[in-house]
Amino acid sequence: MPISEYNGRMARAATTSDVFNAIAEVHRRDILDALLAGEKPVGAIVEELRISQPQVSKHLHVLSEVGLVQCRAEGRHRYYRLDRDHLRPLDRWLAKYQERLDRLEDYLSDLRQGEEHQ
Amino acid sequence: MTINRHGSATLEFPSDREMLVTRKFDAPAELLFDVLTKPEHLRVWFTGGDEALEVCDIDLRVGGQYRQVGVFPDGVKCSFHGTYLEVERPVRTVETWVFDGRPHDEAVETVTLYEEDGVTTMTVLLAFKDQSSLDSMFKHAPEHRDDPAVAIDGMQASYDKLDDLITTLA
Repeated sequence: MPISEYNGRMARAATTSDVFNAIAEVHRRDILDALLAGEKPVGAIVEELRISQPQVSKHLHVLSEVGLVQCRAEGRHRYYRLDRDHLRPLDRWLAKYQERLDRLEDYLSDLRQGEEHQ
Repeated sequence: MTINRHGSATLEFPSDREMLVTRKFDAPAELLFDVLTKPEHLRVWFTGGDEALEVCDIDLRVGGQYRQVGVFPDGVKCSFHGTYLEVERPVRTVETWVFDGRPHDEAVETVTLYEEDGVTTMTVLLAFKDQSSLDSMFKHAPEHRDDPAVAIDGMQASYDKLDDLITTLA
């Protein structure tokens, strides 16, 4: 059965074309983790996550829609792999937060050095 | 001092409506608590780059309010406010968290500090009412001003970090 037949309408209603939304679900993050090691067929992901195949397919559909995973068909099997370019918006957001916390650390360090000199 | 923990904050999503940032600091919890809650400290570190902290009011007691307004050179303002629900110096505060650009996506923020062997671990948990409110945080918070502002901020992390990032998100 093609992926698009699985609950596609529901998936679209629940998510925008936005990477943040797509990763705000624990199983979808598990799928991304599973694909870190490389391309995998749907069956292998099902085995790894221990949730139903329709569930996995639904999540893969959402991840495909925002470009986080790419799909390749080979005979009857579909293989999925991570597309890292689409994680960049999240990376940028985290980078800004990191920057603030790094400033906080530097400031604490300055304060403590000031104390030592007193 | 050359050794630091830059870039070590981790981001997790404990549930569909919560985000959790964790970061260690080589400082006692008491000092960190003050630096997080006293305006004279926040004015130094809270904003960076071309953002200035125009307003920083903090009434640190249960029922007390806080308000922060950041201003960019183009006049764009990003402001937050909330009310303290719990204050337990130096280990914990709980407060409502409202980004004025999206007032309907209010969250409850819980900050905890845990000191061990001179190292304090800070956790910041933002719990939104639902998943769409959490999503709006990423889309509309000042840290994620849409392109081209983000594109020119020079903060793009290297691709090398992506493996770590994904692991962090697990």
